[in-house]
Amino acid sequence: MPEVVVSIGPQHPALKEPVNFKVIADGEKIVRLELDLSYNHRGIEKAAEQRNFIRVLPLLERVCGICSHSHATAFAKGVEEIMGLEIPPRARYIRTIIAELERMHSHLLWLGVAAHEIGFNTLFMWTWRDRETVQDTLEEMSGNRVHYGMNEIGGVRRDLTPAQVAAALERLPVLEERIRQYVGMVNSEETMLIRFRGVGKMSREEALKYGAVGPTARASGVDYDVRRDDPYLAYAEIPWNVVTDTHGDVYGRTRVRIGELWESTQIVRHCLENLPESPIRIDTPKNAPKGEILSRYEAPRGELAHFIRTNGTDRVERVDIRTPTLANWTSVAACLVNQNIADIPVIVAAIDPCLSCTSRLTVAKKDDRGSR
Amino acid sequence: MTDPVSILVYIFIFPGFLFLAAYALFLAYLDRKIAARMQHRVGPPFFQPLADFIKMLGKEVINPAGVDWRLFDAIPLVALAAVMTAFLYVPVTGASPLSFPGDLVVVLYLMALPTMSLFLMGWLSRNIFSAIGGIRAVTQLFIYEVPFFLALLTPAIMAGSWSISEIVAWQQQNLWIVFFQPIGFIVALIGLQAKLERTPFDIPEAETEIVAGPWTELTGRRLAVMDLTLDISLVVGSALIAALFLGGPALPWTLNPAWLNSAAGFLLFLIKTLAVLLVISSIKVATGRIRIDQLNDIGWKYIASAALVQVGIVLVINYLWVAP
Amino acid sequence: MIKPVTQETIIERMRAFGTVEQVRKNRIQVRTIPDKLHDAITTSQAMLGFDRLVTISTVDNGETFELLYHLIGPLRFIMSLSVELPRNQATITTVSDILPPAGIYERQIHDLFGIVFEGHPGLKKIILNEDWPENEHPLRKDWKPGPDTFYGGIRVERRQTDA
Repeated sequence: MPEVVVSIGPQHPALKEPVNFKVIADGEKIVRLELDLSYNHRGIEKAAEQRNFIRVLPLLERVCGICSHSHATAFAKGVEEIMGLEIPPRARYIRTIIAELERMHSHLLWLGVAAHEIGFNTLFMWTWRDRETVQDTLEEMSGNRVHYGMNEIGGVRRDLTPAQVAAALERLPVLEERIRQYVGMVNSEETMLIRFRGVGKMSREEALKYGAVGPTARASGVDYDVRRDDPYLAYAEIPWNVVTDTHGDVYGRTRVRIGELWESTQIVRHCLENLPESPIRIDTPKNAPKGEILSRYEAPRGELAHFIRTNGTDRVERVDIRTPTLANWTSVAACLVNQNIADIPVIVAAIDPCLSCTSRLTVAKKDDRGSR
Repeated sequence: MTDPVSILVYIFIFPGFLFLAAYALFLAYLDRKIAARMQHRVGPPFFQPLADFIKMLGKEVINPAGVDWRLFDAIPLVALAAVMTAFLYVPVTGASPLSFPGDLVVVLYLMALPTMSLFLMGWLSRNIFSAIGGIRAVTQLFIYEVPFFLALLTPAIMAGSWSISEIVAWQQQNLWIVFFQPIGFIVALIGLQAKLERTPFDIPEAETEIVAGPWTELTGRRLAVMDLTLDISLVVGSALIAALFLGGPALPWTLNPAWLNSAAGFLLFLIKTLAVLLVISSIKVATGRIRIDQLNDIGWKYIASAALVQVGIVLVINYLWVAP
Repeated sequence: MIKPVTQETIIERMRAFGTVEQVRKNRIQVRTIPDKLHDAITTSQAMLGFDRLVTISTVDNGETFELLYHLIGPLRFIMSLSVELPRNQATITTVSDILPPAGIYERQIHDLFGIVFEGHPGLKKIILNEDWPENEHPLRKDWKPGPDTFYGGIRVERRQTDA
């Protein structure tokens, strides 16, 4: 067959968010890939320059639904560092608990999506059922299943009552047992193994060269985790491990994510049991001094970097967001060449793309002419 | 049973057209309910497949630009007619009145027509996803048809006849064939799963890769007819396996009043087809989808060799023990 | 590298390229000029172990654009190399040949700010839609959406009868 352009996207059942891959294929093998990321562009960076610190946090939370707390926390901790503030320990622990719960729900979602991409709908249904347990906990604590709104500059907005802590602790053993089941399943279920093993393989050198981050890089043996290398929140005080794997293919990425699920349950358990008593917020000045910072955070998908520059007013001069998915795209394009078309959804799903994070701007005009 | 009225009743009411459609919708409901319960969900209510069928008959039919709509209308009907005709030769309450020597081969041929019609729909749809899906459907047909045919022809060799009703009669006097040919039974089940395009073999319809493959441009009444065809193939397939391996609708002894014999046979038919459905549904729930090149690998290396081994064993048994 | 690299070594090495300043405990900022940027990055990669690019940030400073290249390495320091480009002549050579991940960031910056990266393999639109008009770069401070410009997408006309 001569070269054929198969356009995967912008609407396609394999994609959870719109992106356009123009795959130039020869039979079932991929020759080349062209990428177009513009479909979720919403104007957030420009809009953030016009809002003061109280109003900009809800905007930044809505960059993405699944990693909403990551964006808000990265920004808040960045501004706090420019202002030179140290938030109280209870606030740090509460932020860590929500962050790890978010990581858990994101990884469970990913596991279901990866199973759905290979047609294994049973695992999809089971993981999303367990995800509901995590969402119930989050809803009890923050009032919402995504976009928690827990952060403000200087601390957190809501406290955790002892009843909430007890209810969360009660749900943890169920999750731990199910995660053990998934570990067993991933290692022994034949159809999953043959679809995941050897697919989208990326060696350690390639991962380093193309700048992969997060579980995608850790599955290729790159031992890099912002929570350990540049500690923030309460991670320096809690015993936990970085999960790496050496396989480098989709199977390795699955194992890393399930390992991280396990670690997250242990971190949450430790934080809930050892929650320090202290106020949850401190007073902050209205304006931030002039300064700039690169605030890094380990979102569920990898390393998230906010570059914030302030100019002495109560607004930021510039917030530049580098999302982990954007960093991983180059490595996806590189490891998709010479694979089968049937594997595209699996490989793309393996980096856990979050396109709402990746493309962030559009322009909405408020006039009487309808949409632009 | 050679007078025209009873033949017409056989063809159109029981166990022909009406009964077949009703039973197919019932088995479709059971399949979805079993899958749902295994996946920790509630599942559809029992009239759901019928409701889906009626609703889809009323939906708008969209003809893609440049496509010959008369062909698009005709091809699903051809597929439906093929599988319905195939059911006439499968014994439901005893021997089928329309059976003749060689009807096993006719049934197998008719069962392959839905896949060919899917390929045609995919090719005619003028979009790349349907074309890829259609090609995958035919590739899958080549891969699994060989072991499937071999596995279903070994009971014929053992019973010494090419007519399904006579194979059932042979099993009535001897044991069920599954005891002689367990490998063939397993290969036949796998082949049936591949013919019905269910996981792990739903490659032509791989939703997450090629939208819906050859089903993409089917809308309205054409989709209703193709869905019904697939459900009826499920019935025909399980009835075929129940007849060839599990003894079909026949007790080891004949009961005296003829109607009691038929009723008992019908009950056995229901039980055996439900058992086959249970196995097939479990396979569908418990596995993911494999790729077409992996199917090629597995199909020729393991499944076809197993079928050949089974043929060899049957020839040996035939020579040594079964009277010619 | 045989001897362990400390903060002082980094500051000293990078002094050759411009002014160095240590902002906070593990952040080092180096201001340099566009011509020396390539060498600065190659030196920091080879000699000092800063081989991962986190991101390329841009700030619109009115008269100039400031590009910041943030590099990290195994030493827990973050080094930000900043260059300033005049607004009316915003071009710079690409670094995607020495840092492959830079390709995608440079495409994004080109879409949003209009900075041209010479030598880049393909500066197509990546983050703005294909029918976005030319020369409209949204993140510049002086950019406002024009009332009659069509920014791509689907045009929706409101009829008189709609409420």
